[in-house]
Amino acid sequence: MSFQVSDNEGGTRMTDPRPAHVDPRTVGRRGFLKVAGAGVASTSLLTMLDARQAPAQIKGTSLRMLKWSHYVPAYDVWFDDFAKKWGEKTGVKVRVDHIPHLELPARYAAEFAAGAGHDLIYFVGQILTGQYYRNLIDLSDVADNLGKKYGGWLESSKSAGQVGGTWFAIPDFFISIPVLYRKDLFASVGMGEPKTWDDLRNAARQLKPKGHPTGMQFSHCNDANHNWRALMYCFGVKETDPSGQNIALDGKEMRESLRFAKALYDEGMTPEVFSWDDASDNRFLASGVGSWIHDAISAFHSTRITNPKVFADTFCIPEVAGPAGLKWNVGEPNVWAIWKFSKNIPAAKEFIQHIADNQKEAMEASLGYNMPFLKEQYKKPMPYLGKDAKLSTLQDQEKINAFFGHPGPMTPAAQEVLTTFIIPDMFTRVARGADIEDTMKWGVGEIRRIYAKHKG
Amino acid sequence: MTQLAGGDGRSPGTSLSVPVSGRVGVQAWWRTPTARRYLFGYTLLAPAVLYVSLLVGVPFAFSLYLSMSDASVGNPVARFVGLENFKAALENATFYTAVRNTVVFTVGAGILKGLLGTTLAFLLLQPFKGRKVVRALLVIPFTLPIAVSVLGWKWMFDSQFSVINWALSRLQLIGPYGSPDWPVWLGQPGLALFSVMFVNVWRGFPFSAIVLLAGLTSVPPEIIDAAKVDGTTFMQRFRLVIVPMIAPILFIGSAFDTVFTLSDLSIVYLLTNGGPDAATEILPTLAYNTGIRAGALGRGAAISLFLFPLLLPAMILLLRTLRRRQY
Repeated sequence: MSFQVSDNEGGTRMTDPRPAHVDPRTVGRRGFLKVAGAGVASTSLLTMLDARQAPAQIKGTSLRMLKWSHYVPAYDVWFDDFAKKWGEKTGVKVRVDHIPHLELPARYAAEFAAGAGHDLIYFVGQILTGQYYRNLIDLSDVADNLGKKYGGWLESSKSAGQVGGTWFAIPDFFISIPVLYRKDLFASVGMGEPKTWDDLRNAARQLKPKGHPTGMQFSHCNDANHNWRALMYCFGVKETDPSGQNIALDGKEMRESLRFAKALYDEGMTPEVFSWDDASDNRFLASGVGSWIHDAISAFHSTRITNPKVFADTFCIPEVAGPAGLKWNVGEPNVWAIWKFSKNIPAAKEFIQHIADNQKEAMEASLGYNMPFLKEQYKKPMPYLGKDAKLSTLQDQEKINAFFGHPGPMTPAAQEVLTTFIIPDMFTRVARGADIEDTMKWGVGEIRRIYAKHKG
Repeated sequence: MTQLAGGDGRSPGTSLSVPVSGRVGVQAWWRTPTARRYLFGYTLLAPAVLYVSLLVGVPFAFSLYLSMSDASVGNPVARFVGLENFKAALENATFYTAVRNTVVFTVGAGILKGLLGTTLAFLLLQPFKGRKVVRALLVIPFTLPIAVSVLGWKWMFDSQFSVINWALSRLQLIGPYGSPDWPVWLGQPGLALFSVMFVNVWRGFPFSAIVLLAGLTSVPPEIIDAAKVDGTTFMQRFRLVIVPMIAPILFIGSAFDTVFTLSDLSIVYLLTNGGPDAATEILPTLAYNTGIRAGALGRGAAISLFLFPLLLPAMILLLRTLRRRQY
């Protein structure tokens, strides 16, 4: 057990809350009493702080927060109860509103325009930190505190929470999008666990004629944006430079990834992938038809419930490698933020701290869905994942995690490229037979146009 | 002094003196019956003018302002950029696809709704048992929350579990799941556009039928009977008697339907979100994804304003025709 106190230099240091051991031979009576008294006092203070007693100023206030409806409904049930109990403990009247994640951007635009709304807000998938940072409060104190307490933040968390080095949002968790495959079907064509995208392509090529194609969305949905970016990044594509200001995907790696996707579609998929939404691949796997999919573990859990026989042979691997051995998994980040016009900033900050301190419970409630952003929270065994033989492979996911715009941050320009589905459309065009050079010309042209607008 | 003949019981020849000055002349203009009538008329009109100005004029002016600024969702300070946002829209290849799809969607859905609505209205005009129940049931698609009904259609168009496909397959009109002739309703470009249009028609044609029905029931039966006696066919009666008589209702119904269809975001957004590869992209979805989801309010507003020149001629034509028929 440890926590931070301010040191004399104005920084913070880790301390042990136990009274310091003192050699009685070197200390006099007065000195002994002083040290012992200090030890007892510090223990009491540390116990109080460790229990995270909320500041008295928030007692009697109210806190309205806006969240999405989580893919795991049980998590929302847990969260609402968690928030309620926190409210009872701190004397804060808490109200949690859940709306579908696709409606969040419109809601935030309305709240911003009105200058009123929820005290604590949440970005998911579409990270709007870059768009609203002028109107969000600086959360560097909370971020620094959590970073020090839990061994530091993952590199990818900066993309979600920071603008110009300042924390305007606090990363809560990200959703990992691993590979889910049918071990029995792979074994039927003499293949073991897939290690590379080539392995996946080979399996699909052999299994499609046997009635077990694969599928990744070529449509306008979130998964299409994640999955094709994962393939691109594994092939060495850089969407932007590290600053996020200049696009960098016009190279041979992008052309290679398009070529590969075309072959993967022709050999291993059926046209239904052009119509898929985010849940179609879940059903595809659970139906027993799909040989492998690239999706969040909600597909894994839904198969467990709807088709136990298929589930018995469904396994999970964090990601497969590209031609040069690169492995990147494109996740979906979730972050907290607080409007400047929030009526209860202290309580909002306190709640962010509280949920971060209870990450284990949250991860358990989400059935292993909520992947942490803090390094120490990857200590094995991780909640839920560590207990599940199949999902335990995801305990190293932090090493390969990336977000859209990679390796640059999720800037407003990157956001526009994401929401206008240019990347999935490039893959769709090539899969349908368009020339790769023509597609590159169109796609890169559209992306350049967007970046130029944001620079201007 | 003005001499006026007395008309108040005084003896003839007695004159009445009325003082007249320049000031009194001005006051008299306000007191004239014409001025009073105008004043009264404008007073009665004022609430409507105020209502339209506030609810239509102000948002429209605000859209114009946004479209000529670099406003974004998170930046309250916007610069004037002239016609830059319109230029940006015209440089976007997807914009042209969206314009084409919007026109096809609106015209196609409008024609289908007109045909189906007319047929349904004539059917509902006939006396039959349970007509009231059928009439009530027909408005269900229009009254259901759009999210619920569209999600129902999404499930029916599902690539794997589509009830439509399963029915067609059982009837041996198409092959089994996985065969090349298995339709992917929301995945094949032509079919996807047809599907979103179909849902719009399904939702909207009962409204067209009800509007027509209201018109048809207002046509005096004796005129129809007279036309029958004159030996007209059904189509002649429809074209030469019924349509001219119910034209005002038809025009208003068409105007409403055009506006609703042209600005319909929900169906496309929920079914395909404009995909695959912009096959179902329409101006409202492009404007929403650019302006709200991507946060570029200025460019989103400019895209949405392209609906205006599409709508304006149609509305002017409809209203002019309507006015010509009224006078």
